[in-house]
Amino acid sequence: MEGRPTDDSSLVSRAQRGDEAAYEEIVQLYQQVAFRTAYVITGSAADAEDAAQEGFVKAYRAIGRFRPGAPLRPWLLRIVANEARNRVRSSGRRHQLELRLSEGFRPGDAAQSPEAVAVASDERRRLLAMVSALGEEDRLVIASRYLLELNGEETAAALGIPEGTVKSRLSRALDRLRSRVQEATDA
Amino acid sequence: MPDLEEQLEALSQAIDWPPTPNVRVVLPIHREVSGAARRWVRWVPAMAAAAAILVVATLLAYTPTRDAIAGWLDLHTTIHRTPQLPSPSPHPSGPLGKRLGLGDATTLAQAQSEVAWPIWVPASLGRPDEVYVLVPPYGPSGGEVTLVYAERPGIKVSGQTGVSILITEARGKVNEQFFGKTLGPGTTLENVSVNGHAGWWISGQPHTFVITDANGNPYFGTLRLATNTLVFDDNGTVVRIEGDMTKDQALKIASSI
Repeated sequence: MEGRPTDDSSLVSRAQRGDEAAYEEIVQLYQQVAFRTAYVITGSAADAEDAAQEGFVKAYRAIGRFRPGAPLRPWLLRIVANEARNRVRSSGRRHQLELRLSEGFRPGDAAQSPEAVAVASDERRRLLAMVSALGEEDRLVIASRYLLELNGEETAAALGIPEGTVKSRLSRALDRLRSRVQEATDA
Repeated sequence: MPDLEEQLEALSQAIDWPPTPNVRVVLPIHREVSGAARRWVRWVPAMAAAAAILVVATLLAYTPTRDAIAGWLDLHTTIHRTPQLPSPSPHPSGPLGKRLGLGDATTLAQAQSEVAWPIWVPASLGRPDEVYVLVPPYGPSGGEVTLVYAERPGIKVSGQTGVSILITEARGKVNEQFFGKTLGPGTTLENVSVNGHAGWWISGQPHTFVITDANGNPYFGTLRLATNTLVFDDNGTVVRIEGDMTKDQALKIASSI
């Protein structure tokens, strides 16, 4: 579990007073979700690493202006996601997002037969491919909510849109994905 | 069969993400601030932390100049020192505004209607020959206006810009950055005062200049060579005067704003 709000408050307060160790702890807590968010946006691990790196430096620079008591995670994600989008924009290219299933992942019912596990894995792989093939807007909102498991506020911050827009955009994206799944099933 | 949202939720546990790199945030390194910046920091202690942190940001942000010495003044401008200047982007063809990334051609009156702050026109130069405006998202959050003086007595037409003088005025939020500059060994940087406002005079060999977004990231294709430049703050408006002129000429223009 990444940082809890009470821990965040204390860390932010210390970082605002110039405690470098506190900021390093914040980086440790959030670097994974920040990097993955940047990866979903850029489609490139190298670009995502740079975006996370630069985002955390800029966040450090701005931490003095962070409002005490506000949630830290969306604030950080907004900065890192901005960096990621800027990288895509300045390079003029977006890599195709390539998400893969973990080979070692064995989900669900332990009593499932090997055949059932194989079928389930195949279904997941196809669903992931469909998500990756969605239009950018749909892919980003679905990936943020379900693959990165961001909440509404965090998704809004990562995508740079109002929280209300997240709901409507997610609903439309799910409808389109559902249609594609249905088409594939019927085919 | 589980519904789509349940299937998506299950996917999150099954993804083989690229390994998360160990993000290293190098914290303030005062010793790497240049002499001029160090003196400035002593004069304005409140800015010391911001300057030091920005040095870190700039060192990390630009791969080719990570070893550069950087300094910063609260002029919404990042300044790097580097042993070798990066190559500027080829100038796009077309009108001046496009070639130099100044934005859309407009009139002074129209530009004034698009920004909330008063546009300053230097009395010593009079009305500009051309005016350009940049508004968000392609410019600073408060907007940017450039006055172009094609030719003026005593100031030759610059080989870098094709005009005598460019005056750019911009406003944005605190800590928002608009301009990035990279200085090679043949360029000198000194801090100056313009009507009591802090500023930099950059002269000597041309330096590179880039327009940045609010986060300090360069806009694609805006990196170009710039000639002598005076940058200063005028009550929240960052004013940038560029041309093949002496420091005295630049200060005289600035003082007439």
